[in-house]
Amino acid sequence: MEILKLDEGELKRRLAFFELSDDDFQRLATLKSFAERWTHEITDGLYELIMAQPESRAFFLDQATLARVKKLQNTYFLGLFTGNYDLNYVRDRLRVGAAHERIGMPPKLYLGAYRRYLALIHSRLLEYFKGNAAEAAKALESIRKIIFFDMALAIDTYIAAYLETMTRHQAAIRELSTPVIKVHDRILLLPIVGTVDTQRAQQIMETVLVQVVDQQARVMILDIAGVPVVDTRVADHILKTTAAVQLLGAQSILTGISASVARTVIQLGVEITRVHTRSKLSEGIELALSIVGKKIGSKTARAGSEEA
Amino acid sequence: MPTGPIPILKIGSTLLVTIQIELHDTVVDSFQEDVLEEIEKSGASGLIIDISALETVDSYVARTLANTGKMAKLMGTETVIVGMRPAVAATLVRMGYFMEGIHTALSLEEGLEVLGSQAKVPDTE
Repeated sequence: MEILKLDEGELKRRLAFFELSDDDFQRLATLKSFAERWTHEITDGLYELIMAQPESRAFFLDQATLARVKKLQNTYFLGLFTGNYDLNYVRDRLRVGAAHERIGMPPKLYLGAYRRYLALIHSRLLEYFKGNAAEAAKALESIRKIIFFDMALAIDTYIAAYLETMTRHQAAIRELSTPVIKVHDRILLLPIVGTVDTQRAQQIMETVLVQVVDQQARVMILDIAGVPVVDTRVADHILKTTAAVQLLGAQSILTGISASVARTVIQLGVEITRVHTRSKLSEGIELALSIVGKKIGSKTARAGSEEA
Repeated sequence: MPTGPIPILKIGSTLLVTIQIELHDTVVDSFQEDVLEEIEKSGASGLIIDISALETVDSYVARTLANTGKMAKLMGTETVIVGMRPAVAATLVRMGYFMEGIHTALSLEEGLEVLGSQAKVPDTE
């Protein structure tokens, strides 16, 4: 509902686009007796199609489920003829769509079933109007409008559900993509892994700067060993971040610079003099420690230093 | 909001300026003038500009701050800008201002450290 922005205004626009007028509402309301008379036959006809195909049958394997969904189908069908199509109606239809999305029913089956549904309704209408094709056609047109209106809502719930999942994933990825680690007192490290595009670069800069100020870091180490390709744009983003760190009053160290990255950067003519650089992260950490006035030493003066 | 000149404090041989108002073009011009005059008068060896209260900095202000630092340096005074906010730093690098020749520090205390021995704290005077 929130993602779809379904308010009174949107409801009006939707009804207008499906050309659902008061005439249709009244006609649908008068068809209530038709609906009550035929709903069970129509539902059975619909499930004939569904149960005939293994792919759709798989959703209704036991008798209890089948009986339950048939009952729901009847309620749904009668709902088409209440003559009252307000936000509560929309909410109910969205629930139906969401239920199908939740069980993983693909839209093709959902829409395919609707096709059979309309055909069933049509033949029963002809019977109901005793061959008066003109009246049946009018009735069918009104029903078609409200069914298409429903179908649009159902498809929208599918899309909304996918969008929601995607947004969640994007947020998770964003969080995972800038893990600022406190290496030591006043030394922070950000390992950058994966491709750096403009949006991510901006997020990296933002996170890094806020962390430097929050933790009053003296040194910020950016390790780019995990960045697959360093082109002019990526280099520019990273250097801007290190420059901004320096503006805050902290030092920045760029580590994880491989031979190929070094070559590219120089060939591209990127100026990289403003920042300390090291090829290995361990060297970067040593440099960072020396900036804050500390150093790594072995436990004993000489023995064991090879292993350490 | 306070108006008028930005106060310049003198601690030993260090000048301390805390910018607490939004810097409009006219304010920033007179700020530069005042600071340079004060340096000339006092012969201060260090200048600390605290901008921790500034939430935004436009290009004119950025340029004036950077130039003030360079001018101070010509007069033999080292400049340290302290307390810059993350958003301000991000804006500056995006505009291409890297503040070359000017020191920066996270806090006033560290700004004094940067100036090192030149910062004569009052108790020795």
